[in-house]
Amino acid sequence: MAVEITDSNFQTVVKDSDKVVLVDFWAEWCGPCRMVGPIVEELAKEYDGKAVIGKLNVDNNPNVSMEFGVRNIPTILFFKGGKLVDKQVGAVPKAQLAAKLQAHL
Amino acid sequence: MLLLNFDALKLPIIHPQYIQKYSALELLAKQVVEGFITGLHKSPFHGFSVEFAEYRIYNPGESTKHIDWKLYGRSDKLFIKRYEEETNLRCQLVIDASSSMYYPVDVKADAETQNNKINFSIKCAAALSELLLRQRDAVGLSVFSDKLNFHAPARSSTAQKKMLFAELENLQQQYNPKTTVETFAGTLLDQIAEITHKRSLIIIFSDMFDNADKEDALFAALQHLKHKKHEVLLFHVHDKKSELNFDFENRPHHFIDMESGEEIKLNPQQAKENYLKHMSSYIGNLKTKCGQFKIDFIEADIAEGFDKILYAYLVKRAAIL
Repeated sequence: MAVEITDSNFQTVVKDSDKVVLVDFWAEWCGPCRMVGPIVEELAKEYDGKAVIGKLNVDNNPNVSMEFGVRNIPTILFFKGGKLVDKQVGAVPKAQLAAKLQAHL
Repeated sequence: MLLLNFDALKLPIIHPQYIQKYSALELLAKQVVEGFITGLHKSPFHGFSVEFAEYRIYNPGESTKHIDWKLYGRSDKLFIKRYEEETNLRCQLVIDASSSMYYPVDVKADAETQNNKINFSIKCAAALSELLLRQRDAVGLSVFSDKLNFHAPARSSTAQKKMLFAELENLQQQYNPKTTVETFAGTLLDQIAEITHKRSLIIIFSDMFDNADKEDALFAALQHLKHKKHEVLLFHVHDKKSELNFDFENRPHHFIDMESGEEIKLNPQQAKENYLKHMSSYIGNLKTKCGQFKIDFIEADIAEGFDKILYAYLVKRAAIL
């Protein structure tokens, strides 16, 4: 199960983590996000223990979205050691996300 | 993206007999493609349509054309829909029209049940053009024997379609076993590689019966195509029964080389072993070279249907786009 990330737990879950963290910025009304959602859940299962996979609802958590200038959704940000290392905008196939994640492990 | 699971698809087999009752090549191509698509369940067309990929926040001052107004109505949010445009493909169909492609000779051009190699290639090329042009991919055609008989660079217009079908039909009618034309596949493929500037998918229909001493030139030409960054699909068109298995009645036969006119009388049983040995080593060599150059080598038996050809193309397209 992907971790629910919010404005309040972003510091502890993402910035203070020593693992690679994938954050999926999504919204309920966004069609393409619903295509990416299940892929993120699958990745959460596959990378359980190796990386942290989380989802952040942009409607409920505007601060983090603003901090990283997320203007397009779905956007997937990759963090390593609390720092932003990679970015993927738009709905993409699972293999592409997995490859990006793998590159930072 | 197109995913094909061949086992799960219960595809109808398109028999050449069924479609050949339509004489016009274009109609035939349509029939093949329609039957093929019905079997696929999932539309293979994805070149022209665009895929909705993401939402972007609307910036004041920007054109309001792409705003998702339904979303605005539901949630008071101004977002722009962004689409991912899928690239289209350029495809150059290359047909070998040397005399050996007119084998078996006893097949008439309008035969209902049988094909000779050139007819089979023409029909496959027509079906592929139909499929490609329907999804707005660009198609070109090259026909060669001992020289480049015809060359039209890839385009996706309706005029191009008419021109291609006219040329293919013309090729179908050119059948004349009395004039023999040799194959210079090596030289001609080299020439095609030189004049096809834009990166394309090159689909070759040939029996690959070039002179044995020109084998190196042939491989060099295939390498040239790959060097120019083209993707190559090579359909080895053959009559499996007689050409690969050398399956003839056990009585003296009169064999004629269709390209040089050379004649020989022999009993098939005596030559069979030697023939099979040479043939399998030649095909083996060809396959190895194609493997080395990352060229897809596909055996196309003229006794089989066209669906194998269309699948091979679709799989290749899914892989390169």
